[in-house]
Amino acid sequence: MTSILLITLKGIFRDRVFQGIMVMALLFLFIPTIGSLSMRQVTELSITLSLSLISFILLLLAVFLGGTSLWKDIEKRYTFSVLGLPLSRTSYILGRFMGNALFLCLTALFLGVITLLVILWAKGLYPPSRPVRWDNMMIAVLFDTLKYLLLVSVAFFFSSVSTSFFLPIFGTISVYLVGNASQEVYDYLHSGSQAVKVLPGMVVKAASLLYYLIPNLAAFDYKLQAVYGLDIAGRGMALTVLYWVIYTTIMLALTAVIYERREMK
Amino acid sequence: MKPFAFTLILILAYLAVIIPFADYQRTRPVVEKMGYVPTPQVLKFVSADHKGVTAAALILKSMMYFGAIVEPQFNTLKVPPDYQSMYGTLAAAVKLDPYNMDAYYFAQSFLVWDVHEVKAANAMLEYGMKYRKWDFMLPLFAGFNSAYFLKDYSKAAQYYKRAGELSGAELFVNLAGRYLWQSGRTEQAIAYLTMMEKGAGNEAVRRSFRIRLQAFREVRRLEEARDRFRAAEGRAPKSLEELIRWGALTPIPRDPYGGRFYLEPDGQVATTSKFTHALGAARKP
Repeated sequence: MTSILLITLKGIFRDRVFQGIMVMALLFLFIPTIGSLSMRQVTELSITLSLSLISFILLLLAVFLGGTSLWKDIEKRYTFSVLGLPLSRTSYILGRFMGNALFLCLTALFLGVITLLVILWAKGLYPPSRPVRWDNMMIAVLFDTLKYLLLVSVAFFFSSVSTSFFLPIFGTISVYLVGNASQEVYDYLHSGSQAVKVLPGMVVKAASLLYYLIPNLAAFDYKLQAVYGLDIAGRGMALTVLYWVIYTTIMLALTAVIYERREMK
Repeated sequence: MKPFAFTLILILAYLAVIIPFADYQRTRPVVEKMGYVPTPQVLKFVSADHKGVTAAALILKSMMYFGAIVEPQFNTLKVPPDYQSMYGTLAAAVKLDPYNMDAYYFAQSFLVWDVHEVKAANAMLEYGMKYRKWDFMLPLFAGFNSAYFLKDYSKAAQYYKRAGELSGAELFVNLAGRYLWQSGRTEQAIAYLTMMEKGAGNEAVRRSFRIRLQAFREVRRLEEARDRFRAAEGRAPKSLEELIRWGALTPIPRDPYGGRFYLEPDGQVATTSKFTHALGAARKP
């Protein structure tokens, strides 16, 4: 498993993905300038932009690395030679996942450090009205990373049931969009508003069921708390981490089970 | 065809197009429409976890639209800005990021005087106060709106009290009490505009405050002249012209909005522009 992990990590670096990230990271240089377009919250806007840029880069990595990792092996006929070795398919899946996960974490760390520097710079340009909460910013980046690791596990799950890259990529993007909105929809359906009451009961039930099935990605979003220095509830964070552990494990277990039974020709 | 000739033709064709194209793009008319902004629900869905950036983009969009119209000719607006769309865009922005101060600040800067939507402005400020619990600016704006426009002094006092508690500044506490009753509306407006002008980071917005401040300083000069006339002559002046003939006003006051000052029958100083660009430009002789 460790060897698969290392091969995966090396493969990603060999594909020059990290160079691509460095080029995208150049965008961070423009953030203080864009931030200064704000009238009253230059630092706040710079934090918003930085955290969103990190989140966007990690999303691209999760979707494209996670969604193509298993598919590419089959396409290159690499899977067959690997699985000919004394190695279980589960270890292969886990190795691949860990490799992708480690790369995502390294990227998040790299971009997180750049963000801290950018915010220090922006803060010097225009002092914010409220002190910058560095701890909240680190929490925001950490939870974004967890969120995209979960998304990688979803991409792996889709890869296990599909033979092309369409389902993993577009399926993962859909889960990302729906997962970010599911909490909002659930809250709305249970708000007791008049518009909800005319909906058929089935629709409300189906939507609630989906809410429990689809990963709740909005829970991992601590950007507002980081930008405006709001307090973060420890209980909420702990529950979210637990949720993440269980959900990711379930996704990987399902992927492994399906992959074990899959016929490889 | 030889590859070299083909490349050359492509380069020439590109040059032939890019020059008129760039020329047109440079001189194209200012986009005078705010364009369509989807409902906040749709925006929330498509912006996923980038709601803060989407909100900031919407605010910047309306600020740039305003800047493009106001900056080139800030005294006479040929096109009245589409304030309703600007308000709609900002209202959508605070649904996405209820903490964004730029949206409240910018909405307050045009909603009350130019659109006369004081109640909408205060509703938006109330919404913001639920989130920005630490910010004294929002209750301060709402207090000014209540006192100056709605003349609801008890509500204004509540807002000023809150602003005072949050900022710890004596000034607002005073505003909540004595100041509000004693000072005239013009003084209130000047105090408020001076503060707003200082805080505006955006040049177009700051300029719009500066013009309004200039207008109110002229009003104060007129009021002072009127009071001197009353004290000296024992009666109120019948018209502005009478005041000017009396010699209390040099130089003759000028409305930066292009309107004309006049005295209401009750002695209040007013202007045909009503302190807005659109009216000032329309009624300019």
